[in-house]
Order: sequence, then C-alpha cells, then structure tokens
Amino acid sequence: MATFQAVKKAVTLTPSVRTLPSGVPYAPLLNLAVRAPHDTHSHGHSEPGVRSDVAPRWAGGVSRTSSGLVSKTFTSVSPSNYQQRLIHTSVAVKDAHQVPDYSAYRTNPDSNRALSYFMVGSMGVISASAAKSTVSEFLQSMAASADVLALAKVEVDLSTIPEGKNVIIKWRGKPVFIRHRTQSEIEEARSANWKTFRDPQSDEERVKKPEWLVMLGVCTHLGCVPIGEAGDYGGWFCPCHGSHYDISGRARKGPAPLNLEVPQHEFNEADAKLVIG
Amino acid sequence: MSPSATLYNVFFKRNSVFVGTVFAGAFVFGIGFDLGVTKFYDSWNKGKQWKDIRSRYVTED
Repeated sequence: MATFQAVKKAVTLTPSVRTLPSGVPYAPLLNLAVRAPHDTHSHGHSEPGVRSDVAPRWAGGVSRTSSGLVSKTFTSVSPSNYQQRLIHTSVAVKDAHQVPDYSAYRTNPDSNRALSYFMVGSMGVISASAAKSTVSEFLQSMAASADVLALAKVEVDLSTIPEGKNVIIKWRGKPVFIRHRTQSEIEEARSANWKTFRDPQSDEERVKKPEWLVMLGVCTHLGCVPIGEAGDYGGWFCPCHGSHYDISGRARKGPAPLNLEVPQHEFNEADAKLVIG
Repeated sequence: MSPSATLYNVFFKRNSVFVGTVFAGAFVFGIGFDLGVTKFYDSWNKGKQWKDIRSRYVTED
C-alpha cells in the first residue's frame, strides 16, 4: 500500500508553463496579433485576409497587460446613433393644479386683447419717434450753423468782368481766379492734346460754361499764387519754381504735379452771378 | 368678425407685422407731429416772427 502511494506521487509532473500568483499563465513572447494561416480550411471564408468569423472589436477580446493576459467580453454595444427626444413631445399639462378655473367668470377673453396690444403699439410708436428725433437733433447740433455756411460761399457779379480779363477774389482764405475767356482762348484750350499732359483732364471737365474758367489760385507744387496772363502757354505762371499753366489751368511745364484745382461753383443765370462754394 | 378681432388679426398676430407697423407709424407720427407743432407755433406767434413782418422792412429792389 505504501509503495502504491509512492508510485502515485512520482507521476505528478511539474508544470511546463510558469504560472503567476494570480493564476494567469506567464507567456511573455505571446503574439496576440497573429492570424491563422490562410487556406481554405472550411470555416466560411474564401479570400485570404481578414477572417469573417472574428468577433467584432466592441465585443472585447484578449489584451496583454502588466499583470498578464486579460480577456474581456462585453454583452451590450454602445449606441452608434442617437435620437433626439424633445421636451415638448411629452404631453402638455393643460391644467395647473393649484390655479382655480376662472373661465366661467370671464365674459369674453378676447375683448381687451386688441386694446392692450394697441396701447403697447402706441407706446412703441411714441418711443421710436422720440428716439429718432433725439438722434437726429443731436446730429443736427453738430452740423455747421447758418452763419458759417453763409461765410463759406462767395457771390461774384459776372457782368462786371469784361471778356479776356482775370479777376482774383478771396474765398475761404485762398485766392480764386476767374477768367472770362475769349472765343479764341476757348478754342485753344479745347484743341490741345490733353491726353499727353501730366494730369490729363479735358477742358470740358474743368469748366461748366466755356467762357468762364473758375479755379483755385494756388500752385499745386508748393502753394504759391501764380501770375495771370503769363507763362509759355498764355495762361498762368508760378514765379516760385517756374510752373506753367495753360488757358484751362492745366499744368504744362515745370514742377507742378497737378492742374489748378477747380472749386465747386454754380452759375446763377438770372442775375448773371457766380456762387463759389 | 368684430373690429377688434380684425385689428388683432391684421396687425398684432405676427410680431413682424406688429413691429413694422410700429416703425411705419413712428415715421408718419414724427412728420405729423412736426407739422402740427410748427403750425401751432406759427399761429400762436402770429405777427411776431420775421417772416410775418419782413414786408414792412425789406423793400425789394
């Protein structure tokens, strides 16, 4: 009997795989990504590659952690599509619990509605009107007053200027040249090939009536006052640096970069007057 | 339909129409108010303003 026992002890083999204290077999070089060899071995796939019978990823699987192999299996899937549930899909509560029902006491629930809205709308009309006039009055207070506007204009009696003469008047502190041009001067100004000039501008653009040339008497170079009926082109000549202007006030020669500026002006036909400004 | 219900349905039911009516009404009201006040001012000060007595002092030449 004793010998039998000894024989039985001797056949107990040592384990071929080391086991961790948690009971998980220790397999450090296990490759979990390996796949079975691709041959048609009768479990339902023909193409080599991804097996069709592999469980999807969300269902879990084997992973290797620091404490050994861990196999997880999930039995429910996280939702992949969402349905919006709006709060008003619930049934509206028609009656509040605590508030008594007064409908029997009301004669006509709509009777005052139009009047109430009318009063609200009238209030809106008056407020909007008040706001609009507040803003517009404030903006008007920043506008130039009538005396300033009156000073900003100059009226010239054109009947006193004979043909072929220059008149220099003062407007906003600057000289203004007014030339009553003769017919030959008009033709000269219009026949010039203005497209080749430094500041190309036709005579028609510069004058409102061909016999009256109105322009600021400030040289566009450095601001001297040019001399009338002088220069190479029969117009104006600036003595400071020698700019020549023609009979339409266009820069023709010298350092002036631009034509003499034409101020805003209007003709009063009835009184033969010119209003500058 | 009563006139108040018509008024409600035409102007007050939609907020866009309501607000539009308010703004249009403000525009018209502003013009009317200005005209009315100016008229009242002129009639109250009749004979005192320059435009009333101008003919006494300015002789057209």
